[in-house]
Amino acid sequence: MPTVRLRDASEYPEPARRLFELSKQWFGVDFKQPPAMSRVMAWDLAFGGPHGRAMKRAMAPGEFTRAEKEMVAAAVSGVNACEY
Amino acid sequence: MTGDAAWYEAAFVVGITNALNVVADGLDEALPPLDEDATPDCRALFDEIRAFYGGAAVPVPFRVLARDPSYAADVWAAARRAFADGRLPRRLKAALAFAVSMTTRSRFGIAFHLGEMRRLGVGERGVMEIVGVTQMFSSYTKIADTLQLAPDMADLAPEDPTPAPGA
Repeated sequence: MPTVRLRDASEYPEPARRLFELSKQWFGVDFKQPPAMSRVMAWDLAFGGPHGRAMKRAMAPGEFTRAEKEMVAAAVSGVNACEY
Repeated sequence: MTGDAAWYEAAFVVGITNALNVVADGLDEALPPLDEDATPDCRALFDEIRAFYGGAAVPVPFRVLARDPSYAADVWAAARRAFADGRLPRRLKAALAFAVSMTTRSRFGIAFHLGEMRRLGVGERGVMEIVGVTQMFSSYTKIADTLQLAPDMADLAPEDPTPAPGA
């Protein structure tokens, strides 16, 4: 049970909903609701905005592919014992 | 990264990386690494390890484990298998090990696998890419855990229907 109530996308202001559209494009999935993490980060766009940009920059293809980076991210999440 | 085989390989890299780091970081004072020349029973093993790592010194954990040559040989066989090219290239495996070592704050692992990444051709940009991914997901995971978020993206990838190897 989450510590907070996750709001539906419709409960967010327009700038946050634009972020959700970008999130759909990023994952290539037409979510019924944006992923929980996207909704959390949209709570405070002054934090979630730059954090998300840093994440996208880190995950963009470079010397390593996006898929390779997703695997590194999964390993880091696993070592952090994060179920999400 | 479709198919389970690549993920099994990644998991084995994560596991053996942590195992080697635990010995290197945890025992360096209590059971210091033996000199490479002081362990004649491990000469062939050490030659093989050096060759795998491009002629560099035998990594600390194997010199600690050399007190029990048979055990050291088995750990090495597992480590060699985990880090050899397979479905995943060796450079990615080094990157995974570097990320795991950063996450677990292993001084040995960070230095060793950073050296391996560079030896295997990863440039400074690539190193910083792995630093960025590790840092960002060290943030996301803690935010998700603090808010106790339930997984909602685990089913995006299709299940791999293939049997286990050799079946």
